[in-house]
Amino acid sequence: MRRLIASLAIVASSALIAAPVLAANPPPATASTSTPAAKGLWLLTDYPSQTVRAGETTSIHFKLQNMGLAPEPLALSVSGVPAGWKIDIMGSGQPVAAAMPAMNDNVSLQLRVDVPKEAKPGSHTVTVHAKGANQSIDLPVTLTIGEIAPAKLTIKSSLPALRGTPRSSFDYNLTVTNDSGKDLTVALTAQAPGNFQTTFTEGYGSNEISSIPIAAGQSKDIKIKVTPPREIKAGDYPVLVKVSAEGASAEQRVTLQISGQGKLSLTTKDGRLSGEATVGKNADYTLVVTNDGTAPLEDVEMSGSVPTNWKVEFNPKRIPSIAPGEKKEVQAVVTPADKAIAGDYVASFRAGARGDSANADFRITVTTSTMWGIVGVGIIAVALLVLLGFVARFGRR
Amino acid sequence: MPRSAARREGSPFTGIGPVYLKELADNLSSIRMLVLTLFIIVFGAFPVASSLQQLRTVVGSDAFLFLRIFTIEPEQVPIPFVQALNFIIPLMAIGLGFDLVNSEFNRRTLSRVLSQPLYRDALLLGKFLAGITTLAVAMVALWLIVFGAGLLLLGLPPRGVEVARGIGFLVVAVAYGGVWLAIAMFFSVIFRSTATSALCSLGLWLFFFILWPMIAQAITMAFVPAEITSLDQFMGLQQLGLALQRVSPGTLFSEAVLGLLNPETRTLGPMLPSQMRGAIMGAPLPLDQSLLLIWPQVTGLIAGMIVVFTASYVIFQREEVRA
Repeated sequence: MRRLIASLAIVASSALIAAPVLAANPPPATASTSTPAAKGLWLLTDYPSQTVRAGETTSIHFKLQNMGLAPEPLALSVSGVPAGWKIDIMGSGQPVAAAMPAMNDNVSLQLRVDVPKEAKPGSHTVTVHAKGANQSIDLPVTLTIGEIAPAKLTIKSSLPALRGTPRSSFDYNLTVTNDSGKDLTVALTAQAPGNFQTTFTEGYGSNEISSIPIAAGQSKDIKIKVTPPREIKAGDYPVLVKVSAEGASAEQRVTLQISGQGKLSLTTKDGRLSGEATVGKNADYTLVVTNDGTAPLEDVEMSGSVPTNWKVEFNPKRIPSIAPGEKKEVQAVVTPADKAIAGDYVASFRAGARGDSANADFRITVTTSTMWGIVGVGIIAVALLVLLGFVARFGRR
Repeated sequence: MPRSAARREGSPFTGIGPVYLKELADNLSSIRMLVLTLFIIVFGAFPVASSLQQLRTVVGSDAFLFLRIFTIEPEQVPIPFVQALNFIIPLMAIGLGFDLVNSEFNRRTLSRVLSQPLYRDALLLGKFLAGITTLAVAMVALWLIVFGAGLLLLGLPPRGVEVARGIGFLVVAVAYGGVWLAIAMFFSVIFRSTATSALCSLGLWLFFFILWPMIAQAITMAFVPAEITSLDQFMGLQQLGLALQRVSPGTLFSEAVLGLLNPETRTLGPMLPSQMRGAIMGAPLPLDQSLLLIWPQVTGLIAGMIVVFTASYVIFQREEVRA
């Protein structure tokens, strides 16, 4: 209880002391010279001395701060505007002429500075005034015409060269850094040889992008996926990745080292994938094995799957090597089973080498021997002969 | 009787022409023939009309649409056309043949005919050929009615291969009729009474249609061992059952027709699973392969016809004609 009374006494005494101080010392003229925990009105800005560029519009953020005073409308104005310049006070995107900050609150304002193209280098001081019935403060801002640090981008690749076959996809991870003081939207482009496909995705995302926003001083990971055309020859192919934004650009060269790959295809000489075979007899079909790929294929082995009890042989069984674009003929000898039933069957031929294989389904029409037909005719002939024999034997009169 | 052969003069078939033509004229103008033809047409037209009704609603394409008229099982009628024919052709053949020879005996015209300058050989063969021709005429008429109705109601022409298969079917049907004609004639040679001969023919017909399938099955069952241990054993039993069934001309006819009119038929016997592997089911066989498939059946029908005819010939030659 006694402590409570003591603290109340301290508060009361400090209030008593503060009031005469305030009354004695009017608020300081500028925010930069204000003392902390003070009561009063201030105009605040982070950088009271700034660089602007001729022919461009610059926005300067500032705040009107009210500490412990009763709210009142404060008329805003700017003085010291150089000839030809245009400086507006903006609040919430609109030009404003007065502001009224609540007690212990602030109002965000902007100074929009339109610098004419022909403005000469040099420093100008403009003063922002806030004037109310009881208080008024000023904020001098020094604007220097000069060069603003230009946008700057850098791009780096962790693995600039990848190796693969024409069928693999090449993924390069790139880091783009915005080294300028501005947030930038960076456009992504890639220059690749003809028929190469390039797509950009964000770091670990799957969406295809064409530009990416990067905050000032930040960096972002992007990924470029390059898909070469299937029939491309072996060799090194460079891809130039370019990032650009507002006049700044950076390039990074990545390389695809494509090794050739063989590609098998299997068909017949005339392209017809059907044939005939007689039960129990050999039937020859000429298959053509082609290497449509870009590298030679070694040790191509022929195999086939045929219905049960059928036989299939290849001549030659193995082809030592097929150069790209080369065709080799293989004789497939198919023997239907002795007990096969007439009709259509599927036989599958396969050419396989390391890395690739090709299949061809072959439709074989099995025909049965006509021998039994002849036997049937023979039986009828025998029956007729028997009849004639009886005619000769029993004919009377 | 070697002397008789030595005594004979000229061809045994002189005079076959007049006999054939006279018999044919008798057959075609007889009321019996009219009744039989009407019978067969009505019996055949009913399933065909139902099949056509059903085929008209078929939307999917079918390479052998015309052949389906014969083989499809209509919804309203429980038997397809070919099965009706399987049943009816023997009846017609028996109707034509059961009194071929013994009616001549009974009318006492045989000795009068044989007093003409012609041999018995020619008489018997002429009568038989006239019967076959009559059957063929009826079958062709029926066949043309079916194809014509198909053209009218399906509104598309049959393909060449369909017509070829249809003609093959016609040949098989005539051969099947010939077997039953030969059987009927055989009984007409044996029995003097036409009623007995008709009864025997019809009895054999019923025997083959109703009793024989059961008997064949019973015989097969008798051969079944206590335990079937191998696939070969099973196949052997199946083959035995089929072989017994094939004694009946009706089985031969239906198998031959199946092979001809269902081009997808690959085999008429049992098929091993190993034989089916890799086979493209539903693929039609070429016509020559289908013919090869049914050739044993066709051979059986034709050879059977000749054998039965030979038997009746031998008996007829040794008979006493003078009454």
